[in-house]
Amino acid sequence: MKINKQKILPYLLVSPYIFHFALFIAFPVVFSVVLTFHKWNIISPMEFIGIKNYVRLFNDKVFLKSMINTLIFLAIHIPLQIIVALFLAEVLNQKLKFQGFFRAAFFLPVIVSGVVVTILWQQMFGFDTGLLNRILVAIGLGKVGWLTDPDVAMTSIAVMATWKNVGLYIVLFLVGLQTVPTHYYEAADLEGASRMQKFFKITLPMINPTIFMVVILSTIGGFSLFIEPYIMTGWGPLNSTISAVLYIYKQGFFYYHMGYAATLGLFFALIIFAVVIIQKRFVEVKD
Amino acid sequence: MLKTKSNIVFLLFLIILISCNSGGNKNGDDLVYWSSNNSYEINYARTTTQIWNKNNNQFKVSFQPVPEGQSSEEIILAAVVGKTTPDIYSNMWQGDVEAYAQAGILIPLDTLEGFMNFLYERCDSSVVEEIRSLDGHIYQIPWKINPIMLIYNENLINNLSLQRPPNNYSEFLSLSKEFQKDTDGDGYVDKWFGYAEVQVTWWQRFFDFYPLYLASSGGASLVKNKKAVFNNEHAINVFKFLRNLYKKNYFSKERLSARQDVFLASVIATRFTGPWEIIHADNFKPKGFEYNFAPMPVPNSHVGPIYTYGDPKNIVIFNTCKNPKNAWQYLKTMITAEGDLELLNITNQLPRRKDLVKNKLFEKYFNKNPKMKTFAYQSKYVRGTDASPVLKEVFDLISQQYEACVVYGTKTPEQAVHDAADAVDLLFLTEQK
Repeated sequence: MKINKQKILPYLLVSPYIFHFALFIAFPVVFSVVLTFHKWNIISPMEFIGIKNYVRLFNDKVFLKSMINTLIFLAIHIPLQIIVALFLAEVLNQKLKFQGFFRAAFFLPVIVSGVVVTILWQQMFGFDTGLLNRILVAIGLGKVGWLTDPDVAMTSIAVMATWKNVGLYIVLFLVGLQTVPTHYYEAADLEGASRMQKFFKITLPMINPTIFMVVILSTIGGFSLFIEPYIMTGWGPLNSTISAVLYIYKQGFFYYHMGYAATLGLFFALIIFAVVIIQKRFVEVKD
Repeated sequence: MLKTKSNIVFLLFLIILISCNSGGNKNGDDLVYWSSNNSYEINYARTTTQIWNKNNNQFKVSFQPVPEGQSSEEIILAAVVGKTTPDIYSNMWQGDVEAYAQAGILIPLDTLEGFMNFLYERCDSSVVEEIRSLDGHIYQIPWKINPIMLIYNENLINNLSLQRPPNNYSEFLSLSKEFQKDTDGDGYVDKWFGYAEVQVTWWQRFFDFYPLYLASSGGASLVKNKKAVFNNEHAINVFKFLRNLYKKNYFSKERLSARQDVFLASVIATRFTGPWEIIHADNFKPKGFEYNFAPMPVPNSHVGPIYTYGDPKNIVIFNTCKNPKNAWQYLKTMITAEGDLELLNITNQLPRRKDLVKNKLFEKYFNKNPKMKTFAYQSKYVRGTDASPVLKEVFDLISQQYEACVVYGTKTPEQAVHDAADAVDLLFLTEQK
């Protein structure tokens, strides 16, 4: 049989990607879905248990707690991230001395390892020897249990995560701000618009796509909260910092409940998908 | 095109060939032995395998430390899945054995000729019963232990009214009160009598609740016949004792482990720890710093020996071993009294054997290492863990109630222990379904 080289060549060229996709994406996804109907601890054979993992999921109070914690984290982290990043981007968009230095300095935490940043902040948040409490005591205020008080711990983690990631969003906002045509501001100046009016009536609407992207990126990033509570608080105090991803990890790799972890993972992925769709509907403004 | 095709086929063949590697057991009779990957144990394993290979021609033993990973347990699990487990593994945590045994990946050692006689010569019958699996077989050789005891700063303790380490809860609490200080006058305590990790991670309870529970109860079990058996006065007393320590700020709620060693810096006077602390303390202690070890504190009314957690690490033979008899033959020579002396000399870890204190062979070592002698005396009264495939979950459930009650005081000790026992019973019920 004669092989038509021209017909086969395109398939050969895309075959590495198809192979990669099948092996590392399609197969794990399909396998995870199959796993949700099984009990499996890796070392023993898989046992079909029907929808028991799903029933367990809807009765799991710790998972519910972890979902609420994740939402609390997002509720603090996303607005804080946008406000701080937008403010700093606005400042850095002006003609400043040492502009390059400041831009690099704000971006630096993004490229530092998450573990290193977490350990650094753990020292800052220390109750007895931490920098923050030393400052509070020096100005006559009481110490705060940044990581030991169940009501405060998640906020501390959100602040730290914002500090770590804000540099990336500053860059995105800077790009957004630089795409706003200057003649809009010139026209507004002629009309006598104030600085605030220009910001709310021109800048914000014009950088809406950037805001949408930042919201989506920080939502997905926030949903995958893991390293910070894992290292800083070990998901305590009183489960107040256990995130959904951390709980899934715990089920999968502490206790090897692979079927249940896959169920939690699938459910969580659907939640993220739904949230992104809702955000797209509410945040993104049509032209 | 044909050349490309044959190249792809060759590459696939190579990948399959690599993934089919059976862990390096090339000759049918030869053995592969994985040790722990700390430098002392690597040294020990290298020495013992070299001696064997020099004196025996029948089969060879090649050793390698367990490959690097987040934990040796994860590596073993990956090896089990890939069927690349070694023939012998010598650092198996006792609590993991039951799950592996139930999965059928370990050789039942009691089926090997001479194993039970050897075991009874080495250990007390209580140890044999402790390591017996739920199916009645024995899958592990008790090898080494690191008992948890109370380390104390002699200089600090001698300055307190009792002038010796505390024996019971009352003494511990009264010395804690006496020692607690606010040295910089900012209104906050900065010197505590002791410290235990407040993290809820299940294994942290090996260094506070569990050894104290064993000490109070005379080595009682946590679970038996798929039921929680710790809803008793011992667990409640331990929770009450520890709750007092946190409530009165005698123990810090803050994680002090991220700082400079707080024990060597005299920020705390005591800690619950194992013999591994000796090498660390001797290497890093400041000039004039003296320390020693004492048994775990017990309730005031306690009578009898004081047990503790022994953190046992045992030896297993995996079912991928083609010749378990050879593996057993090698192990018999590795853990003789002479082999155990080598273990002590090289690793400073205690072999789990009943004649540790009486056997003259070890006398020289203990005279040279008097602090290890304290651990050797304690070794008669250590417990490992109960046989259960869900032991980590059991400790996790206890740990969650521990955090709620002991560290944050949101539950009474009675309620917390009751809730933990209920949760463990529910866990067993769910597992049975």
